[in-house]
Amino acid sequence: MGTIIKYARIYRGFINTCISQATSFRLHFFLLIFMDLFFYISSLATVDFIFDYVPMIGPWNRDQFLFFISFMLAIDQLHMTFISEGFWSFSFELRTGHLDFHLLRPAGTIFSVFFRHIRAGSLLLIFVPWACLIWFGMKIPLDPFAWVLLPCFVIAGLILLVSFELFMTMFVFWTIEVYGINFLRIQFQQLSRWPAFAFKPWPRRIFTFVLPILLIGTPTTGVLLGTSPWYALLYMLAATLILWGLVRWLWLTGLKSYESASS
Amino acid sequence: MSLAVNSAKWTQTMQVAWSNQLVYKLNFLMLVLGPVLVFFFIKYNLWSSIFSMPGVTTIQGYDLASMLEYQVWVMIVALLAQSYNNMKLAEDIRLGRISSYLIYPFGFWQFHTASFFGTQVIQIIVSLLTVFAVAAFGFDLNLSLDQTPAAIAFCVLVSLLWFAIAFILGLAAFWLDETWVLRVIFVIIAQFLSGAIVPLEIYPVWFRSFLDYTPFPYMTYVPVKLFMGAYEGHIGTAFAIISFWLTVSVLVATWTWKRGIRMYSGAGM
Repeated sequence: MGTIIKYARIYRGFINTCISQATSFRLHFFLLIFMDLFFYISSLATVDFIFDYVPMIGPWNRDQFLFFISFMLAIDQLHMTFISEGFWSFSFELRTGHLDFHLLRPAGTIFSVFFRHIRAGSLLLIFVPWACLIWFGMKIPLDPFAWVLLPCFVIAGLILLVSFELFMTMFVFWTIEVYGINFLRIQFQQLSRWPAFAFKPWPRRIFTFVLPILLIGTPTTGVLLGTSPWYALLYMLAATLILWGLVRWLWLTGLKSYESASS
Repeated sequence: MSLAVNSAKWTQTMQVAWSNQLVYKLNFLMLVLGPVLVFFFIKYNLWSSIFSMPGVTTIQGYDLASMLEYQVWVMIVALLAQSYNNMKLAEDIRLGRISSYLIYPFGFWQFHTASFFGTQVIQIIVSLLTVFAVAAFGFDLNLSLDQTPAAIAFCVLVSLLWFAIAFILGLAAFWLDETWVLRVIFVIIAQFLSGAIVPLEIYPVWFRSFLDYTPFPYMTYVPVKLFMGAYEGHIGTAFAIISFWLTVSVLVATWTWKRGIRMYSGAGM
């Protein structure tokens, strides 16, 4: 309990710093809001336009598919707000030797490096994907139990997405330059924004069991919509645990090869 | 100053750009693999899934083969035109490094333009390799001999337009602390409105009519249709329009540079 309170206090400090930083650069703050907003609109509109010509994609109709897209946008919104900046700053910390300061702090280094930056502008947009999610959920309509599960499933998807991205980012210890890994990470994000049935069998297997990005949204929305069995959630849990194990191992191995540029 | 000295400066700067691009080999490989990965795993799978639906044989004139061909050319046009990254340019301004360019006998815009040309040489090679790789996987690209030279020339103008826009957005660093967000906003908007995600025929008619008044269709849709040999508009008009937008962008870039340099404080000096 003491540890949780300690980390909650540190995180409150992170949030306060980020809010004052964000409000100091107001134009940047508003541009970030505009960027996210346009991204949400373009993601939903693209699928909506395709459905003008086809009644179904796989087993889903327009509302079900747009519910899935909104679900992924809700995960993306939390990801953009609370963690995405950390993936970009990690390489800088590594190259410049600033990681030393994080290593010396009396808190978990992964926590300090990756959860340090919060985008206050993106936080304000939390209602947009959730409004879409609720709107399409009502159109389907979801049963009451599914509404209760919905927030938990969004969080579970976020945890898996973050675990996968941390796993990828650990390779920066060896590539040094993060641009390529981040570019590839964003391509994987794009892949995860489509349901598993949109993929042919072999890619589907690879992206479910080897690089489990299709487990981020498909099993949970499938369970909510009644198109996937409950045990699909177990794959998601297993993938998250395995990825955390790998992240820990890569982190410790990477630290051994870290040269501490400033020292 | 002799032409030889000038060309040496441009060539040397291009070589620096090549070195910068290729120094982290794994990083470079990932940048090349990214779009190919998206094509094979998202676009190919998604459109195959849509066209496997009962009764869906064509969508707005596209069957599966032509839709995939469209998406391949989108990837190639993106590789050829959108490679230049203005991050270094913005960083140069923000960290006060442009002071050096004000003294050196090779100016700021010349340096970045030469870097852009250097990057373009690599991207042309990457694009050619991608075309061969895609053809090797059995995709029929149906290169049109009539329109391919026009498509290549058009891509040159599109890449210059992207560079000019990236340059303007980078120059915003004179006023803003962070400029990456402007580039990301522009890329998201351009991808959606230029036909890089789905062909513009799939958009509602009223929306397409609106897009005709913007440069976006000329940034992806038109060069892709030229490569496919399926562009139905007047090619001369398309060249005139892209040239118009390019001229506007260059004028805006020049104006922005003049305004920005007046308030440059030479941070860190």
